[in-house]
Amino acid sequence: MSDNPTPSRPAAVDAKGRNTATDKNTAADKNTEAPARRPRRRPRFSVERGWFPPLGPKGRIALVASLLTGLLTHGYHLFRYPLYLTDEGIYMQRAWSLVRETSLSPYTYDYDHAPLGWITLAGWVFPLPKQFETFGNAINTGRFLMLLVHVAAVYLLFEIARRLSGSVLAATVTSFLFNVSPIAVYFQRQVLLDNLMMLWLLLSLFMLLRREVTIRSVFGGGLALGIALITKENAIFFVPSFMYLLYRRVKGSASSRFTSTLWPFAAATPIGAYVTYALLKNELLPSGFDFDLNNPPADHVSLLYTLWWQLNRSQGTLFSHTGLLQTSWLVRDKYLLIAGVCAMVMCLWIGTRDRRRNLGFLIAGTLAFGYAFYLVRGSVVLDFYVTPLIPMFALNIGMITDRLLKGSFANRFMRGAHSLTRVAVPSFVAVLLLVSPASGYLVHTNTEGRTQIADQYQSKINLTGMQHAQIAWVRKHVPPNSRIIMDDDLWGELHDVRPFYPYAHSHWNASSDPDVRDKLFRKKWQNVDYIIMSNKMRKSMMTNNADGRENWILQALRNSTRVWSETEGNIKLEIYRVQ
Amino acid sequence: MIVAIIYLLLIVVSILLTVQSAHVLYLMLYTWDRADAERKARAPDEFLPPQISFSVLLPARHEEDVIQSTIERVVRANYPAELLEVFVICSQDDDGTIKKAEEKIDDLKRKGLHNVRVVVFDDKPINKPHGLNTALPHTANQVVTIFDAEDDIHPEIFSLVNTVMVQEKVKVVQAGVQLMNYESNWYSTLNVLEYFFWFKSRLHYHAHYGSIPLGGNTVFFARELLLRLGGWDDRNLTEDADMGLRISAMGERVRVVYDDRYVTKEETPPTLGHFIRQRTRWSQGFMQTLKKGTWKKMPTRKQRWLAFYVLVFPRGQALLGIYLPISLGMILILKVPVLIALCSYLPVLLLAAHFLVQAVGLYEFTGAHGLEASPKALVRMAIAWFPFQMVLAYAALRAMRREMLGRHDWEKTQHVGAHRTTTEEAESRVG
Repeated sequence: MSDNPTPSRPAAVDAKGRNTATDKNTAADKNTEAPARRPRRRPRFSVERGWFPPLGPKGRIALVASLLTGLLTHGYHLFRYPLYLTDEGIYMQRAWSLVRETSLSPYTYDYDHAPLGWITLAGWVFPLPKQFETFGNAINTGRFLMLLVHVAAVYLLFEIARRLSGSVLAATVTSFLFNVSPIAVYFQRQVLLDNLMMLWLLLSLFMLLRREVTIRSVFGGGLALGIALITKENAIFFVPSFMYLLYRRVKGSASSRFTSTLWPFAAATPIGAYVTYALLKNELLPSGFDFDLNNPPADHVSLLYTLWWQLNRSQGTLFSHTGLLQTSWLVRDKYLLIAGVCAMVMCLWIGTRDRRRNLGFLIAGTLAFGYAFYLVRGSVVLDFYVTPLIPMFALNIGMITDRLLKGSFANRFMRGAHSLTRVAVPSFVAVLLLVSPASGYLVHTNTEGRTQIADQYQSKINLTGMQHAQIAWVRKHVPPNSRIIMDDDLWGELHDVRPFYPYAHSHWNASSDPDVRDKLFRKKWQNVDYIIMSNKMRKSMMTNNADGRENWILQALRNSTRVWSETEGNIKLEIYRVQ
Repeated sequence: MIVAIIYLLLIVVSILLTVQSAHVLYLMLYTWDRADAERKARAPDEFLPPQISFSVLLPARHEEDVIQSTIERVVRANYPAELLEVFVICSQDDDGTIKKAEEKIDDLKRKGLHNVRVVVFDDKPINKPHGLNTALPHTANQVVTIFDAEDDIHPEIFSLVNTVMVQEKVKVVQAGVQLMNYESNWYSTLNVLEYFFWFKSRLHYHAHYGSIPLGGNTVFFARELLLRLGGWDDRNLTEDADMGLRISAMGERVRVVYDDRYVTKEETPPTLGHFIRQRTRWSQGFMQTLKKGTWKKMPTRKQRWLAFYVLVFPRGQALLGIYLPISLGMILILKVPVLIALCSYLPVLLLAAHFLVQAVGLYEFTGAHGLEASPKALVRMAIAWFPFQMVLAYAALRAMRREMLGRHDWEKTQHVGAHRTTTEEAESRVG
C-alpha cells in the first residue's frame, strides 16, 4: 500500500452514493446550449444584503467634488462668521479645564452634558503647537476641528446616502445640501457638541452599512454610537432606526446571535464609563434619593437628578411666531426645512409601503422623524439643536430626488435623454438656489435691498472682529485683578492668554455657581468691577432671571457707565464699568 | 513616589490586560466574524469514495468502563474495514483494560472483523506519547489517527477526512472535538464552551497563520510525516501541542475542520480535582514546550509570536490570578483617583464582554447539537464565572510550582462516560 495520501480526485458521491458530478456535468452541458449573449441586467442592489453598486469613476468625481465643496463652504471665513457663541465658549472653557487643570470643568461639573465632546476638543488642542491659541484663540482652534469634522462627515454622509439608495445622484444631492445650505454652514462652523455627535453617529451608521456585516464592524458601530451618546445625549433619538437596520442586516446570518448581543454591549460601554465616573465620585444619585424638582439637593450634584430635571423641562414655543422655527431656522433656510419635511414624509411612505425592498427609505425617513420628534415634543429647544436634523433632511431630499428622477427605458434614445434629465434637473435647481437672493445660499438681499454675497462668504463682514476689538479694549484698560461679569465666549481669551483675568466669570456662573456667586461676588453688585456685554447676553440675563438670580448683576448694570461699544447690523457689543 | 509607581503599574497592567483580553475575544469569534473563515471551517457537503487507509491509535489507561464501546464505534464507522486498522495501546500493568479490549477483539473476530489489535508496552514512561510511539511502528496504513478511549467518534469521520485530504492535498487534519455534558456540574458549561470556541474558532486562526498547537485526538497525520518527525515527544505533557508546532515549523499546512455534525464527542473531567489535574498538565506542558523552543524555529515572526503567545498564556493566567485580588484590594484600600480607577475597570469590562460571548456561545452550542440552553444553565454559568477563572489561575500556578520542582509525571484524567448520556439525548432530540 502506498504512503501517499493524496491521489487523484475521483468522482463525488452524495450521502446516498449517487454520482453527483455526472449530474452537474449534464446540467453544465445544458447551460452551454443557452444563447451566448445574456440579457443586460441592472446591477443588483439591496441594503439588507449589502449589495451596493460600486462607486465607479463618476461616483469618485462626485465624492471628491463634495469633499472640496465642504472644505470651501465651511473653511472660507470660518474664523469671521458667525459670531462666537456662548456655548462655543463653554465647550472650549471645559476643554481648557481638562488640559490645564485635568478636571471636566473649571466650575462645578453638574452633568448638564456628557463630557466626551470637550474631552475630544481637549484631545485635539493638547498636541497642537500653541494649543488653544494655535488658530488665534480658543474658539478658532475649536472651529478648525469642526472643519475637519465636517469634511469627514461629508464622506460618511455621501457613502451612507449612496448605500441607502444605491445612487450616486442621491449622495451628491445630499452632500450639496449638507455643504451649501446656509443653515448648515451657520451651525456646522460652530464649536458644538452636536457636530461632534453627528460625526460619531454617521460613523456608526456607516459601520452598519458595510458590504459585509462582521462582528468587528457591528461592534465598532455600537461603540461609535455609544461615543455619540456620551458626546450629546440627544443621539438617543436615532437609536430605534439603528436597531432596526441592524436587525435587518444580521437577520439569518451565522453570527446574528453575537452581533445582536455585542452591538448594544458596545454602545453601552461608553455610557457605562460615564455612569461609573459619576458613581466613583459619589455623584450618581442625589442625596437622600431626593428628586424634588422644586428643591434641588444642595450638598452635591447628581447625574440622575440632572437627567430627571432635563426630562421635565418644557418650553413648547417652537411653533409660535416668536419661536425658533420662525425667527431663526426658516429665516436661515426655509427651502431645506420645508423640502426636508416633505421628503421625510415621502421616505416614510415609500419605506413602510414595501419594507423589504425599500429599507433605505425607511431608515432615512425614521432617522429624520426620530430627531424631528425630539424637537417638536415640547421640551427646551435651543437655536443650535436643529444641527443634527440638517444632514438627515439632506439625506431624505437626496433619496427622494433620486427616486423621482428614476426611470427605466428600453429605447436607447430615451435612456440617453433620461440620464441627461437626471443630471440636468438637480443641476438646474442647484444653480437656482445658488443665484437666487431669496435662498441665501450664495447671495442674499441686504437690509438696504441690494443683492450681495451672503454673510457666510462676505469678505466685508467680520463679526468676530468686533469681539476681538472688545477683548483688545479690555486688555488695554482693565486691570487683570478686576472682577468681571461677561459671557462664556470670552472665557478662553481672558483665562489662557497673558495677562490672565482670573476673576472674569460668565453671568451664568456668577448667578448660579456657589463658589463664584457667594465667595467672589457675595451676590453684591458693589463687588463687580466691569461687565462685558452683548445684546444677546442682555437677553439671556433677562431670560435667566425668572427666579431673580441675576438681580444683583442687573443692579450692577444699572449702576455702571458704558465705556466702550460697537455695533454691526443687529449685534451690539458693550463694556460697562461699575461705579 | 511609591503611590505614583503603583498607579502607573495599575494603568500599564490594565491596558495590557485589556488588549490581551480583546485579542482573545477576537480569536474566540474569528470564525463567526469572517465569512471566508466560516466557509473554510465547514466539512465538505459531499464525500469522495473511500480511498485513504487509516491506522487508528487508541491509547488507554484504566479505561475498562469505556474501551469496548469506543472500539465498537471505531470499527463500526461508515468506512470499509479493509481500509481501517485499530490499535488499542496499554501499558503492561493495566490488566483490566487489556482484558476488556481482548474480549471485544474476540467478539469482533467472531463477527468477521479482524482489524483490531492490542499493543502493550512495558517500559517507562507510562504516558500517552510513549504509548503512541510504541504503536507507530506497527501501523501500516497511509494515515495515522488518534482517538482517546472515551471518544464518541462520528461514523462519517473517516469519509470526511478522506475527502479533505484527497481534495486539498493536506497531510495533517485536525477535526473538531467537543465536550458535551454541559450540565453535569458547576464548571462543565464553561469547560464545554472553552472547547467549543477553541475548536470552532480559535484553531482556525492558528491554522491560517501556520502556527497551531494541535489537539490530542481526532487528529490525522500522513504516516510518512510522523516517521519523518520521529514520533511524539514522550517527555512532554502536551505532546499534541508540541507536535503541532513542530509540524508548523516544518512549513506543513494543517487543515482544521469543525463541523458541528461531525465532531468527536467527549466529557468534562468528572470532579474538580480531576479538572485541576488535567489543566495543570496542560499548563505545565505548554511551559515545557515554551522552554523547549520549537516555536523559535518557525519561519516567520508572526508564527513565532503566535506560538509564543499561546505557550506563555498559562504563565499570564497564573499572574492574573495573583493580580486580580491585589488590584481589587488596591482600588478599595488606596482610593485611587477616578481616572485611574476607570482605567483599571477596563479589564473588568472586557471580562463582561467575555461572559456575554460565552453566554451567546452556550446558545450556539446547544442549538448546533439539538440541545436546549436552559436559563438555569445560564445563571449557573454566571455564578461559576469568577470561581472558574480562579480555578484556571490556580491550576496554572500549580503547574508553575510543579515545573519548578521538576515534577513531570502524567496526572491522568478519569472518564466516566457522562457525555454518552448527553450525546444520546441530543441524538434522540435531533432525530
